[in-house]
Amino acid sequence: MTAPDDFAPADNPFSARHVRPGALGFRFPAGQSATSLVDKLQQAGWRGQIVGPHGTGKSTLLASLLPVIRAVGRSVVHVELHDGQRTLPVAIAPARLTRPAIVVVDGYEQLSLPSRLHLSWHCRCGGLGLLITTHRRVRLPLLLETRMDADLAYQLVRDLLDNKADLVGPEEIARRLDQRDGNLREVLFDLYDVYEQGRLTRRNRIPLPHATERKGPPCK
Amino acid sequence: MTDSNITLRFHANGRAFHPGEEISGEYRFDWLALDEIQAVEVSVLWYTDGKGDTDMAVHDFRRISAEEGGWIDPRRPGEFRTVLPNSPLSYDGAILKIKWCVRVRVFSERGKEVVGELPFRLGAVLSVKAAAP
Repeated sequence: MTAPDDFAPADNPFSARHVRPGALGFRFPAGQSATSLVDKLQQAGWRGQIVGPHGTGKSTLLASLLPVIRAVGRSVVHVELHDGQRTLPVAIAPARLTRPAIVVVDGYEQLSLPSRLHLSWHCRCGGLGLLITTHRRVRLPLLLETRMDADLAYQLVRDLLDNKADLVGPEEIARRLDQRDGNLREVLFDLYDVYEQGRLTRRNRIPLPHATERKGPPCK
Repeated sequence: MTDSNITLRFHANGRAFHPGEEISGEYRFDWLALDEIQAVEVSVLWYTDGKGDTDMAVHDFRRISAEEGGWIDPRRPGEFRTVLPNSPLSYDGAILKIKWCVRVRVFSERGKEVVGELPFRLGAVLSVKAAAP
């Protein structure tokens, strides 16, 4: 078989694997870092909350913090909750956990009140830490409040495009962010379609990268 | 293809292959000393890329570990060889893409991990771009 130029499907910089938490790094506010936040969490007895609206980087921040938490010797039970998950999908049984441990719940607001109480009781009785992400503050020490603004969103989009092209300008990003109520995740989803449409109509000015090396899916 | 200090290439010209075709090639990395290498993993795999969650499967996998007595000499190229399956064929859709690649991961004694990839096409399904009127 001969080798055409497009030997592999073109890469879309807004695909899920590029924008998922962990692939897209969290932008820490000035003077803060993953290490400083984990220090803060430790000083708070390994209890804390990350508060912010949808699509402002809570899960991305968690992805940055977890390796640091593990590096200081805490084992992590990481639970991701999605729409309608009212109970924890795993049993938080302190006796089975390697200590010291911390339970990390991404999407805490999904839990029903009994499940929240159950989780809190288990963590307290078992000597476990508890770190959550939530849209509204609860009674835990505040670790960080995440925000998204047009400037930050534009920077992230530029980074995803590797600063090579101007698919959308800052005004367009600001408009889209406003339309999506500040939810960057939704804006990036939209830009995926914009990028694909550009490929189809040949109107985009972006050189289509064929592959990236460090953002691939998990390997065996 | 060169990146991450790992060089990969196919023995044959081109990077588009038929189902059932045998592919072979080599990889090189000479930035580590012999005693610094912990293991090398070579995978031939496919994964989905798009708006949804990524799915993936490894078609062929080989691990050479120094701990298990494997001989890894960075001065000589390593080789890979496998017969490609009938599916899934590479696909360049708007919502979903199916991508194939050879992936080499090198683990060093210092805990560092470096990844290199060589993408290729399996089959000849028209891309959505090519099929568009």
